[in-house]
Amino acid sequence: MTLKWVLHWQPNAGSTVNSQILSEVSQCVESINGVKEGRWRATLTFYKPHTREQSMVAEFPRDFLGILLPEQPNKYYFIIRGQRIVLEADSSIQTLMEKLQSYKTRVALHFDGFQYQLGDFQLRVGKVVPTHSENLRGIVMEVEYVPISSVEKARQIMEEFLDIWQEAVSKRSLPGHFMHMEPNFAEYGLTDHYTSQHTAVQYATVMAQLIATVQAVQSVRN
Amino acid sequence: MECVVQGIIETQHVEALEILLQGLCGVHKERLRIHEICLKSGPNLGVVASEVRLLCDLEQPESTWTVRHIGGAMRGAGAEQISVLVRTMVESKVSKNALRLFYALGYKLDHELLRVGFTFHFQRGAQITVTVSSVNKMLKLHATDEAVPVTPGIQLVEVTAPASAENYSEVVAAVSSFCEYLAPLLHLSKPGISTGVVPTAAAAAASLMSDGGGTPL
Repeated sequence: MTLKWVLHWQPNAGSTVNSQILSEVSQCVESINGVKEGRWRATLTFYKPHTREQSMVAEFPRDFLGILLPEQPNKYYFIIRGQRIVLEADSSIQTLMEKLQSYKTRVALHFDGFQYQLGDFQLRVGKVVPTHSENLRGIVMEVEYVPISSVEKARQIMEEFLDIWQEAVSKRSLPGHFMHMEPNFAEYGLTDHYTSQHTAVQYATVMAQLIATVQAVQSVRN
Repeated sequence: MECVVQGIIETQHVEALEILLQGLCGVHKERLRIHEICLKSGPNLGVVASEVRLLCDLEQPESTWTVRHIGGAMRGAGAEQISVLVRTMVESKVSKNALRLFYALGYKLDHELLRVGFTFHFQRGAQITVTVSSVNKMLKLHATDEAVPVTPGIQLVEVTAPASAENYSEVVAAVSSFCEYLAPLLHLSKPGISTGVVPTAAAAAASLMSDGGGTPL
């Protein structure tokens, strides 16, 4: 499994994400000679517990989520971020969880967009939307460096690429920038050898950032 | 979905059963050593209680984990007439963290077992698995090296086959037909309906052992 960084768009204070920004970012990839290849989609589902009374919900994790990644169509990933737990399972685990009837979907989101080839890099730019809505909640970007699987060995080249990318984006004077927040993979029991479990953990981290951003905007408004 | 029947056999006759199965199945046995951890939902989780089993295969060089949920059995007059249990079953291979995940979700340890024995996997009208194992309990939490038999001198025999709503009748027929060959040594029936050991077992076993398994059935 080759290494990737998952970035999210951090709007400047007082601004929000919109489809114009998404369009500008996509054009930016093409302006640095990214070749458009096709569509991609990942799905993230937040679960909530079934309880007899609403008051009991607080006993159970609020951050239990499931992720379907396009590069692993037969797998499903569960994460409880607060406890640093990640689990890789066959996709039949979703049927199993439905049969248990202990947890149900609270909200599901798609990460949806186009992928691009750029030398040894593969880039994906995607909008974040709830599954039955077109309401743009965020923008994510995957930067994959194909030749290397080691988190540490790839660090320098990833940072160099990111510098080039950030400079290209900043020329468009957009109200925000891409951020990369690397989770502590070791806390999840993951090693230096990159796997799809690392990707799932990065998506969970990005999701936490997107939620924090939305909450910050709401508290300013209030 | 799966079709299931179970029976018991005295440990002294297991070797004869192995000879019989070897002749019937035409494949080699695989050793079995499975740590089965049964979890139940805690008191406030879910409108109804739920159970899930975590199976750790200790026979592999690096332990592999499976999560399994066994659901309700098929009901109705048709179901009662057949001698094989048809029930929903969903399983998934999982990475190592499954126990931590389910504890974090609010599941509690109900009991754990160690099954030690062998299995035969083969095709005979359906994909059939025969498992012969001693069921052992652990005296200390997760201590698989210190397990003792729940029923000394008796082993459990399970015959299972995956099925779907479209083909379960054929699978039931295949399993029933196969079980008839085992009748001299043990009686297989729906789980929960125990029939004990069969009176012909000793004689049948003696015959198989003296024969050395050379005579094809």
